[in-house]
Amino acid sequence: MKSYLAFTKKEFCETVRTYKLLIMGAVFLLLGMMNPITAKITPQLLKSFMPAGIEITIAEPTAMDSWAQFFKNVPQMGLIILVIIFSGIMANEFSRGTLINMLTKGLSRSVVILSKFTMAVLLWTASYALCFGVTYVYTAYFWKGDGVSNILFSVFCLWLFGILLLATIMLGGVIFNSSYGCLLFTGGFVVALLLINIVPRLQKYNPITLASSNMALLANEMSVADFTLPIVICCLAVIGFVISAIALFNKKQL
Amino acid sequence: MMDTLCIENLSKSFGTHKVIDNLSFTVPEHAIFGFLGQNGAGKTTTMKMILGLLKPTSGSITVCGEPVRYGQTKTNRYIGYLPDVPEFYGYMKPYEYLKLCGEITDLSIKEIKNKSEELLTLVGLDKANKRIGGFSRGMKQRLGIAQALLNEPKLLICDEPTSALDPLGRKEVLDILLQVKGKTTVVFSTHILSDVERICDRIAILHNGELALSGTLSDIKEQHKQNGLLIEFTSQADKEQFISSPQVASLLTTAEQTDTSLVIHSHNIDKTESAVLATLVEKQLLPIKIEVQEPTLESLFMEVVS
Repeated sequence: MKSYLAFTKKEFCETVRTYKLLIMGAVFLLLGMMNPITAKITPQLLKSFMPAGIEITIAEPTAMDSWAQFFKNVPQMGLIILVIIFSGIMANEFSRGTLINMLTKGLSRSVVILSKFTMAVLLWTASYALCFGVTYVYTAYFWKGDGVSNILFSVFCLWLFGILLLATIMLGGVIFNSSYGCLLFTGGFVVALLLINIVPRLQKYNPITLASSNMALLANEMSVADFTLPIVICCLAVIGFVISAIALFNKKQL
Repeated sequence: MMDTLCIENLSKSFGTHKVIDNLSFTVPEHAIFGFLGQNGAGKTTTMKMILGLLKPTSGSITVCGEPVRYGQTKTNRYIGYLPDVPEFYGYMKPYEYLKLCGEITDLSIKEIKNKSEELLTLVGLDKANKRIGGFSRGMKQRLGIAQALLNEPKLLICDEPTSALDPLGRKEVLDILLQVKGKTTVVFSTHILSDVERICDRIAILHNGELALSGTLSDIKEQHKQNGLLIEFTSQADKEQFISSPQVASLLTTAEQTDTSLVIHSHNIDKTESAVLATLVEKQLLPIKIEVQEPTLESLFMEVVS
């Protein structure tokens, strides 16, 4: 337990001093502000770009448009940045050999994986909460948040999908010695989920629903119950990936 | 006395390439054990197997009476390890790094503070309060020693600790190793033979994955006592005259000759020397130099690896 705290503290120190915290914070803050603002000014932008004489009617933007931006930007830009930032989480240690000193001091290998995963989850949660908070405040300010259901649950689903990606990164990081291998593995995993989604029978089990159907949830086209299976599968996958990462790391030649 | 490290019938292959072949040796407590071999002889591979970082193909390793298990091994709590090129988290300061190491090995806060200060002073880094990223190679090596000694290990394993250092840095590192002798057993690999002669009491020479030679340094020198007698003449004519003498003819089978000198190798150097001197007197030859050459570690090393 003491070594877990010590190594997590080291991970935190690394996050701060290698500017990961700064980058994640800045990106997600920016995303958080962009979501409502883009929704607000898109009609005006469109109008100003229209040639003279052509009239189009654009519906007045609503809180839904702001959240539509949120659930478009975070899964795309946000998650990609998250994966890129953490892709070197194991590879940097392997390639520089910095873990050798720690492990030969008797640090348990499972602690390495768990500490790194903890720190990644904390950083993702904090950045995501910041993004959500900013979007929430602006949206409430512009539109009073009318007509949007299940917002917290929907936000939770996307957060959980982020955790799944982090668990995938941990597993990929242990399997491959380079950050590119880890990126490829995580990318391949998402592509596999997208491919599975083509089969209608499997859709209701697919964790990708957590990051792709959030708007349907807000618009009441899908119910909370529809997300139960993906959430269960996602949690099992996270646990499975982390356990596999530890098991593989225990057997890894360094 | 218990052996701190015991290696039995250890083998390791990478694919079809056999790096270590049926290696066995022991290191008694409080010895400084020099582990010699050419580059690529398998020294680092052996050390990594002792640390459980590599999986042996066959054989067993015991540290302080406990077997080493590949992967997560409990025996690492007895061991301090200094890698050939120690790498640290560049964004940390030396004290922070030692604190992290101390917390991992479950030392108390007070112990960590005392030990860190003591060790940083020992390795001369007590005033280097900057991030490790800006350290020179020698400073990293010294910090490496400090971290390896932090948990007062029973066995200190150093992988070529002096190879990349300047003469001053090498001396400092060797002095530190000498200082910790008595408290801990040291195994260190190197191919710098003068370092071995300076501090080691036992050596093993690894060649082609096998142990070519092992034992205490003095025993080995005694066993391989094939001393040489160097005789240098003023002119080639004198030398020719000397070797034409029938008394020395039997000695010349193992001799190396140059234009004006020759070196006679023999297991009984006293007998050889008196025969040579008698011949010189008889022929009235006056050499400019006669010298008994003692075996050096270098000649031993060359003998076993060539």
